[in-house]
Amino acid sequence: MATTTASLTIASSDLVGDALSLSASSTLYKAGTTTGLEQATGLTKTYLTAVTPIDLFGTILPSGSTGNVSAHEGKSHWIYISNKSEDETEWATVTIGDKVIGRLYAGDFMWMPWDQATDTLDGATKHADIELAPSVATGMWFEYCMIHEGMKLPESV
Amino acid sequence: MATTTATITITSTDLLTDELSLSTSAVLTAAGNSTGITNTSGLARKTTGNTTEYTLLDASAYTDDAAHKIYLKNVSTTPAQYFEVQIAEVVVGKLYAGDWAFFPWSADTTELTNCDITITPQAADMTLEYMLFAD
Repeated sequence: MATTTASLTIASSDLVGDALSLSASSTLYKAGTTTGLEQATGLTKTYLTAVTPIDLFGTILPSGSTGNVSAHEGKSHWIYISNKSEDETEWATVTIGDKVIGRLYAGDFMWMPWDQATDTLDGATKHADIELAPSVATGMWFEYCMIHEGMKLPESV
Repeated sequence: MATTTATITITSTDLLTDELSLSTSAVLTAAGNSTGITNTSGLARKTTGNTTEYTLLDASAYTDDAAHKIYLKNVSTTPAQYFEVQIAEVVVGKLYAGDWAFFPWSADTTELTNCDITITPQAADMTLEYMLFAD
């Protein structure tokens, strides 16, 4: 069993009257257990040159499955995405199942769980893919990785 | 202008054969400029009384398509207890005991569905810690 730890600090001396010094740390476990996650995609670095949304992490359904349910729905997946642009006017829109979560501006990062759940509003047609759409086509750098309990890879054709 | 810095560190000595030690820092700024974020909800706690869905943050109360940031933490110590987190009625994921998340939030209200953040606790009496950094 691997032990992987994710930690966050948020600090500011002037955001509020009392100095802010928030810290959190968690060990990454399989869903509902204290068994450490053992799989990872590795840290990917990529240069995107179009504003077209792309799937960073796609929900791939089991072969021959009916409905829209991922074999790994409900398992533990942790997503890290960082916008490495240094131009403050550049951002990337992050969506899940085509619903906008937010914008990652230059230098921003995010860390969140991913359930691979079916989109309950558009369940017939939408998966819980995590997509990224750069704001400019002149080229933006991103880093991302997933540490997880299991995922289905695309089958060869 | 306030300066607020968020730093994430992900480490493991045994997940891979090469030691993992990832660290990134970001200064929280307003959308499209270098002006520091100046508004915050403060660090808050929500204790739930039942397992129904709660609206944690109502998108209509915040600027649309801004550079808001959200911090969430499940303070439970019971491994099986989780909060299901939804944005715009889509399940993002589950925060199990001790888990935290930090992500941007657009507070979008122009799409088909408002970008509200909702939580659904797995058990009746659970506590979520949260903080909004608002643009």
